[in-house]
Amino acid sequence: MHITLIQALLIGLWTAFCYAGMLWGIYTNRALVLSFGVGVILNDIPTALACGAVAELAFMGFGVGAGGTVPPNPIGPGIIGTLMAITMSGVTPQSALALSIPFAVAIQFLQTFVYTLCAGLPEAASNALKAHKFGKFRLIANTTVILFATVGFLLGFLGAYSMDTLKTLVNMIPAWLLTGLNVAGGMLPAIGFAMIMTVMLKKQLVPFALLGYALAAYLQLPVIGIAIIGLVFALKFYFEQDEKQAAPAQATTTSQEESRDDWI
Amino acid sequence: MTGSNVLTNSDYHKTTLRAYFLQNGFNYSNYQGLGYSLIMYPAFKKLYGNDPDKLAEVLSENIEFYNTNPNLIPFITSIHLAMADNGLEYKETRGIKMALMGPLAGIGDSLSQFCIAPLFSTIFASLAMNNIALAPVFFLLAENITLLAIKFGMGAYGKRLGTSMIEKLSAKMSQISDAASMVGVTVIAGLAATFVKMKVTLTYASSAKAAKGAATSTVDIQALLDKVAPALLPVLYTLLMYYLIKKRGWTTYKLVILTVVIGIVLSLVHVLGV
Repeated sequence: MHITLIQALLIGLWTAFCYAGMLWGIYTNRALVLSFGVGVILNDIPTALACGAVAELAFMGFGVGAGGTVPPNPIGPGIIGTLMAITMSGVTPQSALALSIPFAVAIQFLQTFVYTLCAGLPEAASNALKAHKFGKFRLIANTTVILFATVGFLLGFLGAYSMDTLKTLVNMIPAWLLTGLNVAGGMLPAIGFAMIMTVMLKKQLVPFALLGYALAAYLQLPVIGIAIIGLVFALKFYFEQDEKQAAPAQATTTSQEESRDDWI
Repeated sequence: MTGSNVLTNSDYHKTTLRAYFLQNGFNYSNYQGLGYSLIMYPAFKKLYGNDPDKLAEVLSENIEFYNTNPNLIPFITSIHLAMADNGLEYKETRGIKMALMGPLAGIGDSLSQFCIAPLFSTIFASLAMNNIALAPVFFLLAENITLLAIKFGMGAYGKRLGTSMIEKLSAKMSQISDAASMVGVTVIAGLAATFVKMKVTLTYASSAKAAKGAATSTVDIQALLDKVAPALLPVLYTLLMYYLIKKRGWTTYKLVILTVVIGIVLSLVHVLGV
């Protein structure tokens, strides 16, 4: 399918908004959300949902880390990957994920570059304040987000607009390699799950990992059902902790009162 | 300067909402420092507006290194505002502002990045997988309503209770985050078993049977594996990834490259397929 200029512009604006939203912490810069916008603009929501879901799971673990660290960016699979899957007939959501990883990494470096570029801002802001230029101070304090929106727009617009070129390049990929990328794309979410598990999984939580596996693999429960069963144990633990904390507190107060009685 | 108390509730709410702007000036020399000053700007303007020198000085002082969790920062800005409104100078509020930065970053990140985000992300991604068109919209709503509620809760907490609350808060927070981790781990393990796709297409042909020319001369290895344990390969592969990250310290790049290479090679020799 062909992407019109209007559609390319809209995809650019959508990417700009989502990428800026990353700084605001409103969770728009997630593969699930990014690809949904592309699906709406290009009128192919089912493909977009499939791409977004696969990439969301694969990238789930990439977003975690101490503040300021820059992970591979979901714009790769969310925008570029989804565009590929929608416009190119041979590309499945899985192979789109594998094909778009280099873009995710490139955008990651671009972002580090923007942060580094902005390193001079505090100095500029201080100077503006010294001159009592409060408007200029506010502009400087918003520079990073403005740059993010600009970069996002260019990525989305150019990505959509150069799809024809990308299409020719992808068509040059031999069939066996596309199948291989397809297989790899199916395996990539394992990295996301493992990544997040290295942060969350403690020894005490291993039973819950087993529980989740059994519920999904043997009982084939849908995810909401798994979450509810997990919640049952979590709430039970939470209330028990509450009681445990309340019990010794009461015990100490009564013993204090008793001793005080004795003392009197 | 004695307590002026010119700030109203709406000033606190406004500053709480401005927490979204914390990273508008994010940079590698002072991280969120510039954003912190930007958040405080309207409230400071109300406090020191009639004295541009003072306003410029206070804003300038606040442009110093800062890095914490954007969802919990209303706690800090509220305390800061309450102190400033009572006539305290920046050098007197600076200590508490800096002391809260680290703990709140830790608590906030573990809550928002390791509990709330993975939970909603996995749930709504799997709904999207089942072709529910509005799943991404629901994801955004769930995520943002939760985080906004946390922001306002923190803003109100900061205003009311000040510094003595931080210890009690972190005890309660860790209890909440432990409980949330239980749900999270259960769901993520379940999804790893469902959404990581590895299928053995290799079939084993027994030569003795093949000689007889029987139609059922091949053994479907995937069916055999499914009998041993469903989703065995995806789980084992996820465990391998876990091992490589945790024990070997592999980066995501290496893991992605390894996965892509394994995928291509094994599909090339027709062991794995789609």
